[in-house]
Amino acid sequence: MYILAIESSCDETSVSVIKDGCEDVSTVILSQMNTHANYGGVVPEIASRMHVENITLVIDEALKKANMKMEDIDAIAVTYGPGLIGSLLVGLMAAKTLAFIYGKPLIPVHHIAGHIYANNLVKKLEFPLIALVVSGGHTELVYMKENYSFEKLGSTLDDAVGEAYDKVARVIGVPYPGGPIVDKLAFEGKDTYDLPLPLNDDSYNFSFSGLKSAVINLVHNEKQRGNEIIKENMAASFQNRVVQILVKKTMKALKDNNVKNLIVAGGVAANKGLRTALTEACNKANINLIIPEMKYCTDNAAMIGAAGYYAYKRGDIAGLDLNAKAVVSLK
Amino acid sequence: MKYLFIDSATTNLVVAIINDGKIAYIYDNNDNHDTSSKMMPVLALAFDKAGFKPQDIDKIFVVTGPGSFTGIRVGLTVAKTMAYSLNIPIVPISSLEVMASGNGGTALINARRGYVFAGTYDNDLNDIYPDSYVLMNDSLAKPYISYDNFDFETVKPNIDILKVIIKHENDKDVSPHTLKPNYLKLTEAEEKLKKHDRESK
Repeated sequence: MYILAIESSCDETSVSVIKDGCEDVSTVILSQMNTHANYGGVVPEIASRMHVENITLVIDEALKKANMKMEDIDAIAVTYGPGLIGSLLVGLMAAKTLAFIYGKPLIPVHHIAGHIYANNLVKKLEFPLIALVVSGGHTELVYMKENYSFEKLGSTLDDAVGEAYDKVARVIGVPYPGGPIVDKLAFEGKDTYDLPLPLNDDSYNFSFSGLKSAVINLVHNEKQRGNEIIKENMAASFQNRVVQILVKKTMKALKDNNVKNLIVAGGVAANKGLRTALTEACNKANINLIIPEMKYCTDNAAMIGAAGYYAYKRGDIAGLDLNAKAVVSLK
Repeated sequence: MKYLFIDSATTNLVVAIINDGKIAYIYDNNDNHDTSSKMMPVLALAFDKAGFKPQDIDKIFVVTGPGSFTGIRVGLTVAKTMAYSLNIPIVPISSLEVMASGNGGTALINARRGYVFAGTYDNDLNDIYPDSYVLMNDSLAKPYISYDNFDFETVKPNIDILKVIIKHENDKDVSPHTLKPNYLKLTEAEEKLKKHDRESK
């Protein structure tokens, strides 16, 4: 079964053709990152405007790359939420138009389900599993008993982990998007700053705003005293706390639920510090760890096409009145 | 020739199918809320009522603005995707011209904060005052035509889609890939950045 998938929930316009939920036939991603970098973050109205300008070009390129025509496609999958509403709408309207013209089933896909199923493009998921979803917009621990069944164990109570990275980056003078650079700096520095381990309790929830504030206060106080912050050390101290709490709660979720499979999903899955620490902890606990390739960590339509296949098997077919949702929980 | 006309830039949603110079079906209702949910069912209904398939359409006329940014994008994304996949041309149309298409006049769309999108057209849809984003003032030619409420008298638009189509039937068409919305206004972030760049020079 060939699915044409469209993802436009934030600042990437992406279209893929995916075979049977596991084979990436073709993927095209047009990132707007360089434009938004001028503004220090994603500007929703600009993102929407760029999506509408590029959408048909990206569809065309994905089909050409797959050497296929719309007539060869069996179904259309699209991210309907969560995300920026104006951005989501462009992908959604394009998907609905294609489904209407060609009389194909329209499959609504939750963005987080997409991130989780990015791993299915690496290796077929084995159940039960725990998914750690970490990105600029999400931080969640999800339990999956079987394909396309999601039980949320916990999530962030405030900032998403990627968001905290970008804010800390700004405070220590690293340009947007700062997450990957903070990760790199952390490996050059030492954990010298006294920062708290955030929400260090028995729940599966996370909180990063306190840690972020602690960094801001520390930088501010040092400036008042006329001291320079050592960027590398601050990055290392911050990253250590983040990684430590993510690993601790993830390993607890695995143990409590007697699960032997862990997958990591989302943009922050590209973080070297997190990858290293999780690999180590999983080796020790004899857990089967899957982390997607770097190219599937950030937003892309391949993951939507992979998830869409299992959503379709579960019977998720939407009508032409399908709407986008800025906020929607994973079910 | 069979044409599809789409206008979702204002509070009035119009979807029309034209067959050999006659309107085969028209949806023309002042109910354009939740456009993203409504658009495709209305389009499906239009094809159903007119007795045609999307594959029968020879050309798409789509309103590219000015008006509601989201509304424009919904209509334009549908038109672009359809024109691209069916390999047919698109002709861009002004929302203000559509509003003035009945008898001519000055069409106004509330652009908020004291601004309007305004354009003046004569009875033959010649552009007398080009579509602009301007501070609302009384120097514009009357009568005012608008779907929005202003603190002066406006006339509800009396639209004539056939007149618009005939006027633009031989316009140079645009590739769906390069067709862009006509917002007539930068985003606030772009305006701030421009102002900042000017001041720092």
